[in-house]
Amino acid sequence: MSDSLKRRKYRRIGLSVILMGGLVPFATLWHFLYQGERSFYISSLIMMMYTIVVFLSAFERRKPQAREVVVVSVLVALAVTGRMAFFMIPQFKPVAAIVILSGVCLGGEIGFVVGAMTGFVSNFFFGQGPWTPWQMLAFGVIGFLAGVLTEKGILKKKKLNLCIFGGLTTFFVYGGIMNPCSVIMFTSKPTLQSFIAAYISGFWFDMMHSMASVIFLWMLTIPMLQKLERIKKKYGLLNEVFKDELLWEEGGHI
Amino acid sequence: MRDTFGSYHPSLNFLYFLAVIGFGMFLMHPIFLSISLVGSLSYAIYLEGTKAIGKQLLYSIPLCILVGVINPLFNHEGITILTYIGDNPLTLESIYYGIAMAVLFMNIILWFKCYSYVMTSDKLIYLLGRKLPTLALIFSMTLRFVPLFKKQFKKVMRAQEGIGNSSRKKNILARIKWAMKVLSIMVTWILENAIDTADSMNSRGYGLKGRSSFSLYFFQRRDAKLLIGLVLLVGSVLTGVLNGQTYMRYFPSVKLQPTTVQSIAVYIAYGVLCILPLGLQMVEDIKWHYLK
Repeated sequence: MSDSLKRRKYRRIGLSVILMGGLVPFATLWHFLYQGERSFYISSLIMMMYTIVVFLSAFERRKPQAREVVVVSVLVALAVTGRMAFFMIPQFKPVAAIVILSGVCLGGEIGFVVGAMTGFVSNFFFGQGPWTPWQMLAFGVIGFLAGVLTEKGILKKKKLNLCIFGGLTTFFVYGGIMNPCSVIMFTSKPTLQSFIAAYISGFWFDMMHSMASVIFLWMLTIPMLQKLERIKKKYGLLNEVFKDELLWEEGGHI
Repeated sequence: MRDTFGSYHPSLNFLYFLAVIGFGMFLMHPIFLSISLVGSLSYAIYLEGTKAIGKQLLYSIPLCILVGVINPLFNHEGITILTYIGDNPLTLESIYYGIAMAVLFMNIILWFKCYSYVMTSDKLIYLLGRKLPTLALIFSMTLRFVPLFKKQFKKVMRAQEGIGNSSRKKNILARIKWAMKVLSIMVTWILENAIDTADSMNSRGYGLKGRSSFSLYFFQRRDAKLLIGLVLLVGSVLTGVLNGQTYMRYFPSVKLQPTTVQSIAVYIAYGVLCILPLGLQMVEDIKWHYLK
């Protein structure tokens, strides 16, 4: 690693320290100082928005190649079409499955981008609302987790492992983020009981959603991974040398 | 429906919706809620027609009731206790708060409805394109890919039927298997197609320095006028917010701010802001009527 690369890395770390050390406490402080009726909403919105912004702008700044951009939009479009195809059955959507597979195959960063963009774009067909950033974050985090855990070797690229991972993350991450959303948005002072009630009332929806993820992953994992790996091999998309080159040569700073 | 406000510069449209949705989400004062409701409802009806909005209202009313009921059930603050549910008091203040929240929820849904009508994807791509070109590109490509995939799915399906592999007369399991086959064929095609698209983009110089993008939006004099008006209105409402004119205390007891000259000025500013698109439309219609 040369000096300039090191500097960039440090700058990246420095920026995340500022964001983590500055904005989160600011949002929390705002909550305690302002003590207004909607302060929970404001502080959660601030934290959420800047998480999404950091991830997406990191992707933007490294100026991804055309092939990468097109593959990402193809995956987003697949997830969106999938959500539209099954819209009659509540919560039965293949979005999480496709986001997980993208993360597993193309890494955590792309996993987050695919998840967040799917949340954003699919709401153009299903209705935008104050819930959009929450969905973007929830799907993004699922994709990011899938990618990072695969990169670290914790998550194996096997059907059963991915199914278990998909079921758990859809239930706990997506449900975990989306259930309190309505409480924070529409109650004056969220209490522990109201959160518990939201989680209980959302239980079957989350169950349905996580079942859908398991089923879709069960069916899609092998064909999708094969196809994505084939594309990667055939066209040298995102292989390691190429990826490092992208990260460091094209300005891998936030 | 002809929409004058939508023909203004996209940044103004976006700014406007940022303001009304932002204020709409946080102003809990009943007068501000009703002003916002009048504005959003009339504009939504103007854009989408009574039928579509009526349907929308029908769908969202159960949600609004839910929002209105959840608040008193879980919030036991307030001094006017009406009755006890189990051990927990049901207070008048929390019911008021629930009603206010339900109206607020309705407003937000209606404003977003107008937003999706006015802020079409090309405007959004134009606005995003300068700051986040890659994400804007992904966004616009996705919007194009969705109908393309539907079309391709049908093509593959017909081709399969043509070679005698129809989905008819099959049980559910075989049908799912068949659908997976079609999907698999489609995904392979899509990914190959994506690489072709990318190569085509590269050969046309995607990502080279000094490339600009084309759009047909110009910032005209009327946009500047509207911008000044918007800034003034938002500014005066914001001063009202900072001075506490828009504050409404719900707990422990309901307390309204006394009505003063200043607060009336803020009401008027907010009213003008919320009715602005329809007002512009009316001015335009009158102009056209006399020019005819």
